[in-house]
Amino acid sequence: MFLPGILAVYSAESPAARASSSDDEEYLDDAAPRITVADPLYVLNQAVFDFNDKMYFWALKPIAQGYKTVVPTPVRRGIQNFFHNLGSPVRVVNCFLQGKMGAMASEMCRFVYNTSFGILGFWDPAKDYPHLNPPEEDFGQTLGFFGIGNGIYLVLPFLGPSTLRDTIGMGGDYFITPMTYIDPAALAWSLKGEETVNDLSFRIGQYEEMKDAAIIPYASFKDGYLQYRKQKIDQ
Amino acid sequence: MMILLILTGRTGLSAAASPMEALKNPIETVLSLLKDPKYKDPDQRQQQRDKILAITRQIFDFTEMSKRALARNWKSFSPQEQLKFADVFADHLSNSYMDKIQGEYKGETIIFLGQEMVADGKALVTTKIQRQPSDISVDYSMLLVDNQWRVYDVNIEGVSLIKNYRSQFDQILVKESPTQLIERLKKKVEVKIGN
Repeated sequence: MFLPGILAVYSAESPAARASSSDDEEYLDDAAPRITVADPLYVLNQAVFDFNDKMYFWALKPIAQGYKTVVPTPVRRGIQNFFHNLGSPVRVVNCFLQGKMGAMASEMCRFVYNTSFGILGFWDPAKDYPHLNPPEEDFGQTLGFFGIGNGIYLVLPFLGPSTLRDTIGMGGDYFITPMTYIDPAALAWSLKGEETVNDLSFRIGQYEEMKDAAIIPYASFKDGYLQYRKQKIDQ
Repeated sequence: MMILLILTGRTGLSAAASPMEALKNPIETVLSLLKDPKYKDPDQRQQQRDKILAITRQIFDFTEMSKRALARNWKSFSPQEQLKFADVFADHLSNSYMDKIQGEYKGETIIFLGQEMVADGKALVTTKIQRQPSDISVDYSMLLVDNQWRVYDVNIEGVSLIKNYRSQFDQILVKESPTQLIERLKKKVEVKIGN
């Protein structure tokens, strides 16, 4: 009389019983709604995607590899830090626009600290202080912060995945980027080129890995980009 | 009294390690394998790879990952197809993971930030990889199955691996059959082995 009761309790506790009840629909519920964006320019986007892919393997990667061989790592790091520091105005303004005053103050402190102690930003002594490294903001995120949706998906030549909102965001940031105001324009462009190649020299192989991991690279990069941007806006 | 002891001994709910502990050991073992100078030689790569894969097979729940990557489409797969899919998806994920870490890992430190119990038997372990110019956050979603914590999703800088695959599989399965999807994955894995 006592025994069946105990056996009932015992079997209810067993892992097998637990697994079969939780197993069934749980994996469906788990899904947070997927982030999707309309892609009416799909045909054009795919063409630009393929173009970017070719440009990477034919031009950008060989250039970055050559550059990496010639320029020592500490120098490349210094250049990376320098350009990153120059990006401060964009970050400061967008923190301000989103009302993130603490982050804005941190960005300003970091800029001052790195420009002075980091000798014009070539060194990044501020990276040792977590509170001086807030999540980075840009105008695309600011627009997203105020509830402006992505719009449509775009693949930009050379720049890669984007959305209508983020592209407009880049346009907005263009006016608060110091390099924009360098005269002559050719110098500004070659500096931009230098920044790009330098950054790429650290990331050779990443594009190939992401592409290899994907079954449909176009869809994978689109989804990855959208998830990544959502995360940044939420921060 | 004796029956009570048998009960508590058998269910052993307290015996399961915490999710973070369950993850820490395998990850640290993998890192030490990656850092081990014994495997510096390209000839040793396969051995290193096999050792690491043995560990990842234990810590990742590939069936759960398959279910979630297919979501509503899982039910439309026959049990045979489900098995085949989970198998080949596991191989593909393992290959991609191996490529990534063998290619990218250069001795960075991984910091375990904490764990959060999301629900009963579900947890999120947050880590970050210390890297230049900025750290990379890697979060592991874990499930308690058969008294073992295993990973069912990896979230890198806000990008969920499973969601990313789901977007691709959803697109493929609109026009193609489960068998065709399995074939696609098989081809990807075969290309790797051929390398």
